Amino acid sequence: MSGTDAVIQIEGLTKRYGEFTALDGLSMQVGQGQILGFIGPNGAGKTTTIKILVGLLKATSGRASIAGANCLTESRKIKKLVGYMPDDFGKYNNMRVSEYLDFFGAVYGISRQPRRKRVDEVLEIAGATYMKDLYVDALSRGMQQRVALARTMMHDPEVLILDEPANGLDPQARIDMRTLLLRLSEMGKTLIVTSHILPELARVCDVVAMITQGKLRAFGTVDSIMREIQQRRTFEIQLLDRASVEVGATDVRDWLNGKVDEEKGGAGTADAAPAEQMVRFNTSLSDEAIAPLLAHLVNRGLPISQFREVPTDLEDAFLHVANEPGVGQDAVIDGEKAS
Amino acid sequence: MNPVIRREFIGILRSPRAFGMLVCLTIVFSLAVLMRWPSDASVDLSGVQSLQVFRVFGYGLMAGVIFLVPAFPATSLVNEKNSGTLALLLNSPMNGASIYLGKISGVLLFSVLVLFCSLPASAACFAMGGIGDHKFLLLYLVLGLLTLQYTTLGMLVSSYVQSSDSAVRITYAAVFALLFLTLLPDVFFRGTGVGGVVAADVGQWIRGFSPLPAVMEVLGQSDMGSLGLKTLPGVTRFVLLALVSSGAFAAWTISRLNHRIFDQSRSKGRITNEMDGTSRLLRRLIFIVDPNRRKGGIPWFLNPVMVKEFRCRRFGRAQWLLRLVSVCAVTSMVLTYMAATGITSWGVETIGALLVLLQVLLVVVLAPSLGSGLISGERDSGGWELLRMTPISSFRLVIGKLMSVVWTLLLVLMATLPGYVMMVMIAPELSLQVQQVLVCLLWTSVYALSVSAAVGSLFKSTAVSTSVTYVIVIGVFLLPLLIWLGRDAPFGFDTVQTALLLNPVGAALSVIEAPGFESYELLPLSWWIAGGVSGLMFVLLGVQVWRLSRAV
Repeated sequence: MSGTDAVIQIEGLTKRYGEFTALDGLSMQVGQGQILGFIGPNGAGKTTTIKILVGLLKATSGRASIAGANCLTESRKIKKLVGYMPDDFGKYNNMRVSEYLDFFGAVYGISRQPRRKRVDEVLEIAGATYMKDLYVDALSRGMQQRVALARTMMHDPEVLILDEPANGLDPQARIDMRTLLLRLSEMGKTLIVTSHILPELARVCDVVAMITQGKLRAFGTVDSIMREIQQRRTFEIQLLDRASVEVGATDVRDWLNGKVDEEKGGAGTADAAPAEQMVRFNTSLSDEAIAPLLAHLVNRGLPISQFREVPTDLEDAFLHVANEPGVGQDAVIDGEKAS
Repeated sequence: MNPVIRREFIGILRSPRAFGMLVCLTIVFSLAVLMRWPSDASVDLSGVQSLQVFRVFGYGLMAGVIFLVPAFPATSLVNEKNSGTLALLLNSPMNGASIYLGKISGVLLFSVLVLFCSLPASAACFAMGGIGDHKFLLLYLVLGLLTLQYTTLGMLVSSYVQSSDSAVRITYAAVFALLFLTLLPDVFFRGTGVGGVVAADVGQWIRGFSPLPAVMEVLGQSDMGSLGLKTLPGVTRFVLLALVSSGAFAAWTISRLNHRIFDQSRSKGRITNEMDGTSRLLRRLIFIVDPNRRKGGIPWFLNPVMVKEFRCRRFGRAQWLLRLVSVCAVTSMVLTYMAATGITSWGVETIGALLVLLQVLLVVVLAPSLGSGLISGERDSGGWELLRMTPISSFRLVIGKLMSVVWTLLLVLMATLPGYVMMVMIAPELSLQVQQVLVCLLWTSVYALSVSAAVGSLFKSTAVSTSVTYVIVIGVFLLPLLIWLGRDAPFGFDTVQTALLLNPVGAALSVIEAPGFESYELLPLSWWIAGGVSGLMFVLLGVQVWRLSRAV
């Protein structure tokens, strides 16, 4: 993506509180209509980044812009361009949902007639039309999330920043939320979504940014990041009897030792899991290189019922990035480049 | 030891708020006695000097208990409920009574500490001689029971409400109702013959709920003579009523401490527009401004923040305001009519003083209730962050919030205008005085609002801001009147005049020539002081809002 296509551009964003560095030279770009999954452990710097983007915090150094407006100096423009849904709902007691949305519409300067229409529209988009006359303080968590999303859309912003939108939602509501995010993306909205429910995020995000200790660790599409991270893939060989497990593990080990990966050293390791009647091994070999192993084992007379690769997901990739000591302090896995 | 007592008591003791409170109280009590300590070497055998000190000490201690004690029990159960720990306690082998006992004991132990803080001052007072030890014991007995009554009342309120700030508001309103409103029936019925002997007796019993007559009796300012010897002494009446009411409040609260306390289904949100024609008509007649009617949206000429403030206050909604205004208007008219037709022997001045006090009471109760949570309420609920994300300027935001309180107070003040109009009709020579009184009341409202809004904005939690604001506002308005009570002895004319300048209420009472206030010259200095302090408070509020809204 070229710099001109990008709706959100962040360059070398740093935020320090005295000695503590909350954000350390963060750089990334998000294009129009894309959904960015912004993930990281608690205290990684996600909320700090978001607050700088929406103009609630000032960065110590670096640049951030949304649709050409500087997040650090043009907060009025930013407020019109961005809809921010914080983790905290921000309820007002004794107000009905329609009054609540009407208030936020008025604060954004939408005049009375269009505001009425807009309240109905956003409630419809958020699937919350039936909540119109309910009291805000009587809503359940899932209902509050929908109303919060409707509130975020009241002034029809170009960019939506949603902090943990799936938090506290039941499975059906999560599916609805996922559909809703995709619908917003189709409407041309650019979204930044944070969530700890990574499988959910993987299903909707176009790009993912992983952040730990204030530093960007990985950025790119989910597939590209996983390809880059998955230096070693895990395979499982399911056997029909328990007695063959040790033999099978030894055979796999010997076979792998016979192959030398020139780039990464050893070709892999194998373990026996007798209780599961399974041999599990990981390897850095390509599909072509690994294909003869199955034939080799069958020829050896092992009773194989399944030979499969264990699929990894965003959660594994995240854990790899967050915990892997191999990911250097300043290294960034650029999935986009890799792909 | 009941684990709840330990947790509650230690929890309160560990809070910096409680520690600061105890230290301040000890200093204030000691200073009060020190200020009135005789400077000459002669010995006063009559005990007059020690009685003066004892009165200052007694009223001060009562004020301390009234201001400080209710805040802790008021938030006790509702905080537990909101944080989810009450459900855990109810799920444990402890029953409702032991949970209640644990919680109330913790709060009472702290309240006993408040009373203990006064012991050095009390000992110094006793050392001056002339006051029997039974007087001290009686004072502590009355204040101890007062603490028990307010604690049980606070916990009862706490078991009903949904948020800690509404718990504080309702508890303080109930405390002031018990303190002052209970005195009114007796004032009304005594000597007028209205309602006969039964009404007078009922009036006296209702008066017994207030600790004021009992404390006045202990401090040697009893009105026994006027009541006659056959009547029960104020202390005995208060002790009986405080014990009975505390027991009733406690039993009521314990009966609520079970799983049913969480039995509150979500509101269906049914609105008037969806009801049948008869119901709609009926509601229109009852409410005039029906809160459940679907709103048409905020018009362009109104500040949306102001409208929001009105809408999200249960008590602030139009139908409540109309009720309050009607009550004020009727009360002021009745009072003035009574003076005009000679039902009572009160003069126009007394009626004027009553009107002023009625308005001041309303302002002092309403202003902190509405003003203290203007900023802290937003910060507490997470709304502040949302408002910061909108293009609305901090100035417009503050103006909207302040105006929502200004309109309410203005309506309440205007509601008593018919009473003043009647007063001017009865005595046209009072016209200028009435105008000056109205200006004083206007300043009183501005003063109370500015202090409430500024002090409230300093805190993040609504419950804390409400409690602190109530203590400060009531302190500012009640302290000069307490000092006035001790006019001539122990306080001199100049001290009382200086104290009355602290707020415009004294000026209003002196202008209307209320009994006891005639000799003080407080205008126009009182207005300047009120204006200056209000200005400072608004600046403080502005600075705090600017500090909270900027990106750092």
